[in-house]
Amino acid sequence: MKNFIAGFLAGILVLITGVLGYLRLGLLDARSDAAIPDWTARFLYSGIHASVRRTAPKLQNPLPQSDETLIAGGKLYLNDCVGCHGEPGKPPSDFGATFYPPAPQFPRVGTKYSEAEVFWVAKHGIRRTGMSAQGSSYADPKLWSLAAFISRFPNLPPHVWEEIQRKSAM
Amino acid sequence: MKKFVFGFVAALIVLPVGGIAYFALGFSPIRADAKPSALETALLRSAVRASVRRSAAGVPSPPAANDDDVVAGGKLYVLGCQGCHGELGGAYQEDTDLYPAPPQLPHAGTQYSEPELYWIVKHGVRMTGMSAYGPFYSEKELWSLAAFLHRIDKLPPGMIEKIRAK
Repeated sequence: MKNFIAGFLAGILVLITGVLGYLRLGLLDARSDAAIPDWTARFLYSGIHASVRRTAPKLQNPLPQSDETLIAGGKLYLNDCVGCHGEPGKPPSDFGATFYPPAPQFPRVGTKYSEAEVFWVAKHGIRRTGMSAQGSSYADPKLWSLAAFISRFPNLPPHVWEEIQRKSAM
Repeated sequence: MKKFVFGFVAALIVLPVGGIAYFALGFSPIRADAKPSALETALLRSAVRASVRRSAAGVPSPPAANDDDVVAGGKLYVLGCQGCHGELGGAYQEDTDLYPAPPQLPHAGTQYSEPELYWIVKHGVRMTGMSAYGPFYSEKELWSLAAFLHRIDKLPPGMIEKIRAK
């Protein structure tokens, strides 16, 4: 048993030294414009979602489920999110693709997150990604309208998007 | 001896599996509006530095930059970088919305060389908010930006005004 423990401790030591050495020697690729391997992307996205699921309070969207809510959220999306996450009816964002991991293109893929989870992510951001916390810029009701809007992708009612573009053009 | 080897192998299995499970099950904190620990910052910052140094080693030396190049790079900075990295000539204000926080370059300056700065802007730094700008800037623009960034905390007097002039 004593030998087992000694071996275990030696294993820990070797692992830590190995990881530190790997990092210190600069062997970890730092580029964000390298293609992300499929398994890495899946691992990261699922771990992030698991953490959000665990952390985000399970709240109901306090706003009414109305076109007005979606339009308010859509205007916010158009102002602040399309640069990385893509615009409905347009090709995927080139800029969003230059992050590692890349920014998900919501208008195409939608999201598996609940509205409460989208709200939480928009408010607090995701560390070690390009997703910054928006809670210092926007009050909760704004972020709830955004969550309602993003949750409707990729099946956004067309008249809602037309209305948003009309309003933002004015 | 056999038991020692068993223990050794067990550690090599248990630690990675534990780490992967910790992350996959969602125990790893994810919110960006927090500050990384000093240990995490030191570890990852030195890893990025070492990786950039290694990767940028093959980048040719920069073309000699004159004042016009620095001004041109400064203009690019004002348009594309200062939103996260700090306003040129502005007061120090830490960004607490991204994790890790982007360095506030006008105040902190940088320890990276011009070829390394060129490389970082071109390729980005993964798992940070620093995306790759290679698709959006020409080689000349990347080099002028690198020349500017290298001098950002010690610009000669009057340079900021020149950069801000339309």
